[in-house]
Amino acid sequence: MLKTTDLGYWYQDKQQPLFEGINLEFEAGQSYAIIGHSGTGKTTFLSLIAGLDRPKAGEISLDGKSLSKIGLTTYRRHDVSIVFQAYNLFTYMSPLNNLMTAMAITAAEHAGDRDYAQKILEDLGIGADLINRNVQRLSGGQQQRVAIARTMACDANLVVADEPTGNLDEDNTKEVIAQFQRIAHDQHKCVIIVTHEPNVADQCDHQYRLENKQFTAVS
Amino acid sequence: MNFIKRAWLNVWAKKGRSVLLILVSSAILMFVLAGLLIRSAAVKATNQAKADVGATVTLSANRQAAFKKMQSSSSSSKSSRPKLSLTPVKLSDASKIAKLSNVKSTNVTSSTAVNASSYDVVSTSSSLGGNSGGPGGMKSSTSSGDTQIDGVTATSLATDFSSKQSKITKGRGITAADKNTNHVVIEKELASQNDLTVGDTVTVKESSGDKAKVKMTIVGIYKASSTSSSSAGPMSTDPSNTMYTSYTLANTFKGSKYAGTADSVTFNVRNPAKVGSLKTAGKKLINTSKYSLSTDDSSYQTVKASMNSVEGFANKIVWLVAIAGTIILALIVILMIRERRFEIGVLLSLGEARWKIIAQFFTEMLMVIVVAVAIAGAGGKFVGDQLGSQLVAQSTTTQTTSTSASGQPGGGGQPGGNGTRGGGPGNTGSTSKQATKKTDLDISVSAVNLAELGGFGLAITFLSIMIASGGILRLEPKKVLIS
Repeated sequence: MLKTTDLGYWYQDKQQPLFEGINLEFEAGQSYAIIGHSGTGKTTFLSLIAGLDRPKAGEISLDGKSLSKIGLTTYRRHDVSIVFQAYNLFTYMSPLNNLMTAMAITAAEHAGDRDYAQKILEDLGIGADLINRNVQRLSGGQQQRVAIARTMACDANLVVADEPTGNLDEDNTKEVIAQFQRIAHDQHKCVIIVTHEPNVADQCDHQYRLENKQFTAVS
Repeated sequence: MNFIKRAWLNVWAKKGRSVLLILVSSAILMFVLAGLLIRSAAVKATNQAKADVGATVTLSANRQAAFKKMQSSSSSSKSSRPKLSLTPVKLSDASKIAKLSNVKSTNVTSSTAVNASSYDVVSTSSSLGGNSGGPGGMKSSTSSGDTQIDGVTATSLATDFSSKQSKITKGRGITAADKNTNHVVIEKELASQNDLTVGDTVTVKESSGDKAKVKMTIVGIYKASSTSSSSAGPMSTDPSNTMYTSYTLANTFKGSKYAGTADSVTFNVRNPAKVGSLKTAGKKLINTSKYSLSTDDSSYQTVKASMNSVEGFANKIVWLVAIAGTIILALIVILMIRERRFEIGVLLSLGEARWKIIAQFFTEMLMVIVVAVAIAGAGGKFVGDQLGSQLVAQSTTTQTTSTSASGQPGGGGQPGGNGTRGGGPGNTGSTSKQATKKTDLDISVSAVNLAELGGFGLAITFLSIMIASGGILRLEPKKVLIS
């Protein structure tokens, strides 16, 4: 589904790349964890596969089509859905409006379907008493579930998450990871999670460690 | 069109910020509206001034040509003392000019002096009489009459009455219908001294020719303002001894050879801006070696200058406030956008087009501006009223001062000689008063003003957003969301 070919990235000095020559493949219906120490370039790698930045070397392709040909804006709108550590919800909206807005922008199949959005939220434990409350008045766990619900409401087949459990307690972490697994297995989407937490990584189907500018599969 | 919904949700959710933006925008637009109102009121007042104040073209004897003729005759014949001979204006010539398209009305003036017969004239210490024309604005008689007769077409067209220096207090003024009658309008002081009222008769004796007695019927009594009286100096009769009659009766007093003539004929111009073209057209219809056409649009020019000054200032207000407002709003929007970087980042990560994000901010500001226009519409009249009256007071004072400084002596007296007025009216006192009265600004908010204000509001919003949106166009979602 998603493939990186000779992928490389550096900031100022080409001689000191964060990573280089990365060749990976990510399949639909699977969940992947990207692990590694701080500063190794995990989040930078995620920003590339999320279409938030362009690689300095190599290319990323989706279903055989290069992202540069698809266009990053189009790619972000239709093909990828991102979950952030800081949730990054629209703070002036309710959970329901957050979903409705994301569905409208991405022109999702169920765009405008309030009942559909409400059902997704309810499935993730955001009940009728919370769906019209301002998201800033929800707990961290609830806000992260809204963020996950937003990815589920959109039709993107690729879900990338940057430290999605970084701000959550143990119970919420388990719940969130379980949700990602359901997205991968039940909705047949490809889920890629960047994390530094081994217990989160252990829940995923595959693990890649970024170390010494290279990715290595962890068995 | 999801950006419109987002804009509404944002404006509604952040009520405090929206109210503050509305207040700032209202203040800016209120001053823009005040400027627009003053400007439109100044334009309206200038147009009104054209109609009210007007301008005149006067046909009279060509004094300059007559003076040159007198000088040449004095050099050729040294035996007799040369005389300034002025040719009275022929009414047939005047009627040709009256037919020109821009002439609104015509006033024929023929003045002379007679002697009181059945009444006593009002005497003042300064009322010495005289044999020559006095300085501008003063009434004097060249014949030895103690009563000044001002023959007119209608008193309402006479300068003293049109400038409100004199006004009818009883009965009526002289009108065109009084032509060939012995109707007269006398001054209030003269009437009370002689116990005369409307319907009574007065008898005067001609001061030249067969010195016949003529009985006149009083149809009206007027009051001359104290200004006229106080302006009269030596060599003038008391203003109370001035009587208004039809110009035909004044000509009768002057003698049969003056029938069908006048000292001067004043044409009131419909459009003061075209007074020059009327003068040019009129000159083609007269013998310019004998007659001259002079223009007087000083009242119009005074009002026009005053209103131009107000209009110019109002224009500056509009543009300065609009520019300042754009800068202020742009700064606010820039700050607003900076604090919403994460929101923009999320929108970009969802694949929202940058122009739609800019459109969202524009829509938010548009919602604010619509409310601000309504508030400014309500408050702009108040600000405009205050600012307008202050401006007019300042502007009129400036204009009056400059006019007074330049027009002290009434120059270039038109008729002169032949028992008539010595100098033409000085254009200081009455003109300035008229201008002051006419330059009140009628400030009212019309639909056009609101539409203009809406246009300015829209332009200010658009420019502010365009200036501020540079940040959105440069924003990289990775830097906002990942770092």
